[in-house]
Amino acid sequence: MIELIKEMWPTLWPTLAAIAVILAFVPILGLYMTFIERKLAAYIQDRVGPNRVGPLGLLQAVADGIKIFLKEQVVPDHVYKFLYFVAPTISLMTAMFGLVVLPFGPVPPEYESGFRFIVAPGVDIGILLIFAISSLSAYGIILGGWASNNKYSLYGAIRSCAQFISYEIPLGLSILGVILAAGSLNIEKIVASQGASIWDWNFFWQPLAFVIFFTSSLAETNRLPFDLPECEQELVGGFHTEYSGIKFVLFFLAEYTHIVASSFMTVLLFFGGWHFPGLTGPVDGSTAGMLLRLFVLIAKVGAVVAFIMLLRWALPRFRFDQLMGLAWKGLIPLGLVNLFLVAAVFTFDINKHFLAVTIVTIPIAGLISTWRLQRELNSTIALRAGKSGLGGASA
Amino acid sequence: MQAIGSYLSIPFAQSDPIETVSQLSGSWNLSMLIPILLGAAGYLLLQHGIVKGKQYLFMGVIAAVASVISASLFIPPAFENYILFLFCALATGGAFGFLTARDPVYAALGFATAVLSISGVMFMQSAMFVAAANMIVYAGAIIIIFLFVLMFAQQTNLRTYDVKLTYPVVAAPIGVIMLGTLVYCLTAEGAFPLSRPDATRAYSEASPPENLMTDEGNAAVKKLKTIEHTGSYKSVSPSTTSGLGRSLYTDYLLAVALAGTILTVAAVGAIALATKTTGEDV
Repeated sequence: MIELIKEMWPTLWPTLAAIAVILAFVPILGLYMTFIERKLAAYIQDRVGPNRVGPLGLLQAVADGIKIFLKEQVVPDHVYKFLYFVAPTISLMTAMFGLVVLPFGPVPPEYESGFRFIVAPGVDIGILLIFAISSLSAYGIILGGWASNNKYSLYGAIRSCAQFISYEIPLGLSILGVILAAGSLNIEKIVASQGASIWDWNFFWQPLAFVIFFTSSLAETNRLPFDLPECEQELVGGFHTEYSGIKFVLFFLAEYTHIVASSFMTVLLFFGGWHFPGLTGPVDGSTAGMLLRLFVLIAKVGAVVAFIMLLRWALPRFRFDQLMGLAWKGLIPLGLVNLFLVAAVFTFDINKHFLAVTIVTIPIAGLISTWRLQRELNSTIALRAGKSGLGGASA
Repeated sequence: MQAIGSYLSIPFAQSDPIETVSQLSGSWNLSMLIPILLGAAGYLLLQHGIVKGKQYLFMGVIAAVASVISASLFIPPAFENYILFLFCALATGGAFGFLTARDPVYAALGFATAVLSISGVMFMQSAMFVAAANMIVYAGAIIIIFLFVLMFAQQTNLRTYDVKLTYPVVAAPIGVIMLGTLVYCLTAEGAFPLSRPDATRAYSEASPPENLMTDEGNAAVKKLKTIEHTGSYKSVSPSTTSGLGRSLYTDYLLAVALAGTILTVAAVGAIALATKTTGEDV
């Protein structure tokens, strides 16, 4: 056993180091993301936000963490004890396990020795593994909701589950185009395929795929336009109604980990990963180059995370039938169309940038839905006016 | 095993899966049936014990543990074999749980455990794509839908006839015969025809990747070849996924097309059945 570890050590320690980095950063990230979210929310609502603890309120996150750890463990009498305790753990575990094949920094081609910014480099099925793991993350929520033995929790869990299964399909379809372009499921190779110029970023020639991917990944993370599983007006707290203290925090740590992971995926798949025109060339092993690329990647991810947080205050929540309709009637057909177009581009050797035209489908869809909504609204108003004899618009 | 193994530089990893099977060939002896029979006995006792009482349950657990220990004696001593065996044991445990759990939700979870452990076994055999697909399709979609239904149709007090299987005494010998035959086929000399991919066929998996790169009509592959500016990213195993895809769509094209057709027909049929209205307007 000792000899085996000794023999494996040169390849083992970078893996362990990468795991340590992930394990250390996920909780800190979760705490500080809540802080940033509160600050952003405050600025949007013309408030100051948390500003008492430490300079600029920066220690607020730490104070929150300490408070949550010291909270009383409230366990309701009517829960199924085993699953009630296991569910938050499953939630966080699946969220963190997905980070195994996700490069959180530049990965040089020679990754055999030395520290690298990924736990398992060169995994041939990279994206597929992330999908496989993240498809398990519904277990945490659905078991938590069921084990709470509470109608609201169960409804939250069922909603989450239905939403999750539905949005996994467009998510997979949107990625197929990217995989087709890179010819590999390996994330490092997909990033490499976008390295030549800024116009090679998948975002600039598969904008439709990007829109589908981003929408679906928002739905997978239960973020605001899609946060029906925990909508307060209808379900008290949704699946986490019966959870408090550290168990509650585990669920939310998982959610923030999901947000970060899907931001990383967005950047790696559609925004060229650690490449930036003028700043970075081919990946070399030098420390300065690695740090620069790390900075580029983290900056891009930060921008996506901030965008997701801003979306929270820009969009209202869906109705459940609208949510399902969007996935099954909107995103899945669009995903199929996108896949077909990408395949056609490669089969007939057309210039791939013609595909950028597909972005017009989004404004067209917007126009159609606005027109239909307006027509429906008009007919309702006319109906009400006819029935009651009042100007029904305000009713 | 190759993929993870060569990355962690485990000696066993370099060997071909088919060679591993051929190493097993000829190691057959009758004592290999002992763990299978013990396992069957353990299953019957556990099944009986859940309905009847504690003492059977205890004996069942003892028989199951004895089965696991006796099976572990046949494993060649190597680090990765123990991990493999752990996954197998977990899968068997999940299956036990699935069959014996009183609550349908726990039964579904046992099933999920079994499926995930089998994925683990596949990972250990470097069948990465199949493992991930297994996780997505079974653990990620199908069992979640089971749970979904079970949670809505929640049953409270179960009767014994819900827990008791109809013919466990018939099922267990059938299982023993199947497993015994499988073990015999894998270990007896000459019983298992070792076949390799046909190297003479143009598109077979056995043909080297260099040939595939120059094939016409492979825009994606050609494109990949032109991406040289960021250096070539090493893959720990020679592109198993693309090899699998190539093999599926050339060697097994008919089977894939037939399976796809059957699935499409099934989907159409399901939709047709589901939207059948009972006189009302939809």
